[in-house]
Amino acid sequence: MKQDNSQSEPIRISKLDPKFKSEVMKHKDAQGLNACFACGTCTAGCPVHEIFPEYDPRKLAKMVKLGMRKEVLSIPYIWYCVTCHNCEQRCPQNVKFFNILNVLKNMAAKEGYAPSPWVEQTQQIMQTGIVFPKDEELAKKRESFFLPVLKSDCKKAKKLIELAGLDKIKAKKQS
Amino acid sequence: MKKRTGVFVCHCGINIAGTVDVKKVTEELSKHPGVVHSEDYIYMCSDPGQNLIIDAIKEKNLDKVVVACCSPTLHETTFRNTIKSAGLNTFQCEIANIREQCSWVHKDMEKATEKAIKISKSTVERVLRNESLDPISIPVTRRALVIGGGIAGIQSALDLANSDFEVVLVERSPSIGGHMIQLSETFPTLDCSQCILTPKMVEVSKHPNIKLMTFSEVQEISGYIGNFKVKILKKPTYVDPDKCTLCDECTKVCPVVVPNEFDLGLTGRRAIYIPFPQAIPATYILDINSCPGLLPIACGKCADVCEPNAIDFDMKPEIIEEEVGAIIVASGYDQYDKELMAEYGYGKYPDVLDGLQFERLLSASGPTMGKILRPSDHKEPKEVVFIQCVGSRDPELHCEYCSKICCMYTAKHAMLYKHHVHDGQAYVFYIDIRSGGKGYEEFVQRAVEEDGVLYLRGKVSKVFEDKEKLKVWGIDTLIGKDIEIDADMVVLAMATRPSNGAEELARKLKIALDKDGFLAEAHPKLRPVESVTSGMFLAGAAQAPKDIPEAVAQASGAAAKAISILCQERLYHAPTVANVNINLCTGCGMCVDVCPYDALSLKNGKAEVNEVLCEGCGTCSATCLRAAIQVKNITPLQVHEMINACLGG
Repeated sequence: MKQDNSQSEPIRISKLDPKFKSEVMKHKDAQGLNACFACGTCTAGCPVHEIFPEYDPRKLAKMVKLGMRKEVLSIPYIWYCVTCHNCEQRCPQNVKFFNILNVLKNMAAKEGYAPSPWVEQTQQIMQTGIVFPKDEELAKKRESFFLPVLKSDCKKAKKLIELAGLDKIKAKKQS
Repeated sequence: MKKRTGVFVCHCGINIAGTVDVKKVTEELSKHPGVVHSEDYIYMCSDPGQNLIIDAIKEKNLDKVVVACCSPTLHETTFRNTIKSAGLNTFQCEIANIREQCSWVHKDMEKATEKAIKISKSTVERVLRNESLDPISIPVTRRALVIGGGIAGIQSALDLANSDFEVVLVERSPSIGGHMIQLSETFPTLDCSQCILTPKMVEVSKHPNIKLMTFSEVQEISGYIGNFKVKILKKPTYVDPDKCTLCDECTKVCPVVVPNEFDLGLTGRRAIYIPFPQAIPATYILDINSCPGLLPIACGKCADVCEPNAIDFDMKPEIIEEEVGAIIVASGYDQYDKELMAEYGYGKYPDVLDGLQFERLLSASGPTMGKILRPSDHKEPKEVVFIQCVGSRDPELHCEYCSKICCMYTAKHAMLYKHHVHDGQAYVFYIDIRSGGKGYEEFVQRAVEEDGVLYLRGKVSKVFEDKEKLKVWGIDTLIGKDIEIDADMVVLAMATRPSNGAEELARKLKIALDKDGFLAEAHPKLRPVESVTSGMFLAGAAQAPKDIPEAVAQASGAAAKAISILCQERLYHAPTVANVNINLCTGCGMCVDVCPYDALSLKNGKAEVNEVLCEGCGTCSATCLRAAIQVKNITPLQVHEMINACLGG
């Protein structure tokens, strides 16, 4: 059986980033993180956790507290959240995990950990104004439903994306 | 006179009636010789139940009563008082225990019913032969002894003294104050420990009703509730406290330096010393074990410089005898033996400290004047790891029990560390956090939220030195990974255990110990401050690990219990005690040897019973070869007839 070394490697506190937690908590919406006492209500009620057991809000909160910057931001499943808000509505300590996750996603995007489909979609919107690629197949389908021809107006979307700085986000390099 | 016994069978709801056919028991007992009345009722202990008994006594002219119900430890007194109110002697009522000894432990109804009948019949046989007795009256010495001068002992002594009873307070160390005087601040309010304790210590020293005896130990106790005789050994301090002016000239010339107990070895002290500045009594003492010699020829420098001539090398130990009516034991706790926790490097690495040492580091009066510095290099530690449950909750290797106070004091330590070292990081390894007290949970959360203390759920496997750091290997079971921390200091929350010498003290007092060596209470719920020995009460961490509010509450409870004895002119003792038939006694002394209460002695070649000390256990009676010693109302004849009844005879 293949051994997973990343699992057996201990967490070396001296190698972690002690400022990570305070950086996350600088954001107004993430200030409650310290109150987490790891009861696990968030994880227990999470529909994503049901399908992907690796996606574990309680564990993520603890990893942020410990300063595991690289580990947290590079995890693909922080992008899996379906924004149901169960976690924060059930939290006895009023930790707004959904907001914390948004902060984490923003940080991950800035540090080059955004998943490539997400970046591709952004570029798509900038170019065409819609999420899906505009091709003949789509045009035919629309025609069969008697829908009008899609007009390509991406100026507003492009402006918004540029203002938000989303155009500068690079996709995570495929390893 | 013809004996007329009434039998009353209780259902106890379904507690008894669910397993025992109470109607059948009632019917069978009605046929037993000597029984003239029998009836059953759902709750015999209720008012209507008791009235049934009173009415039957009057109507049927009963002179003996058997109640078949729960254990006599519960309702014997109730029913004895019931028959008393109907004009019978209380000792004409006996309890047949058909609940704890029958219905609760059996399932087969037929067999349980048969057993209940036998138990009831044998009790009838006993009560038929019961004498009418009156309680033994004893006088009361209206003063108390408090053993231990920590916060619990201080509180008990003050409560008693303020209720106008004289108190002898005995403390074995040179000053009162106990462990509480060593603490920095107290959870959850962060009051300065010394600031809240020293006023009480001063009150003790000035109180006209308190006779304070420090550096003294209880050597021997005899007597009984209301009338204890105590021998106290007053150890020589070699300094006359009345003459000592606390000028401190002696310590300047003393050539000896030994570890200071008050600072747990973090500092040194001289052979002549004052335990701490606010010590009560305020006097220096000479530690004879580290002093080079009592002979002035060996050293004697301190005596040379002592202007008021307070140093007296000829001081001798004294035995002081006191008479008291009640005793409160508040012998406190000590930390677990650190040497047994080798994996954490205590004793090997100077920067691995125990909880009390860290208290001294935090204390404004401590060795560093309240600065957090590493003992090894006096640098400020930036990463401190606190380890909880060191020795606690480890039945295989150490102590089985939870030491209770460590969760809270560790949260306090971590919090106070952050108050001192703002840019430092505190880590706490824990198994569970037990913060069940008023304001306690909020306090722990404050440490986490406001002071950013990182709690890691798991235990530490090893602490070892690595390039001026202490490497801590542990696990965070919530992440599911091993953790390695490069710490500057490690603080161990050592298990709390009974104070050194508690076992010996318990033996002298004839107080039982529990499985962990703490003093055992008489009942874990209903008699939590009483010991099994009448007239002796427990206070503070001597009984179980306790924090300050609990110790104070129990100390006041123990004082109130003691007062309930001391406020009486006379006490009454159960008269069911051993009785010697002088004509049969040969004076062999076997009963004297076996008596667990020292109630027997030989006088003029015959056994004599001290009726107040006798608890009526019957060991003497069972030992006597000539049946010359018998316990009233449970004589060999009665036991014989009870067995006969059980065998169906």
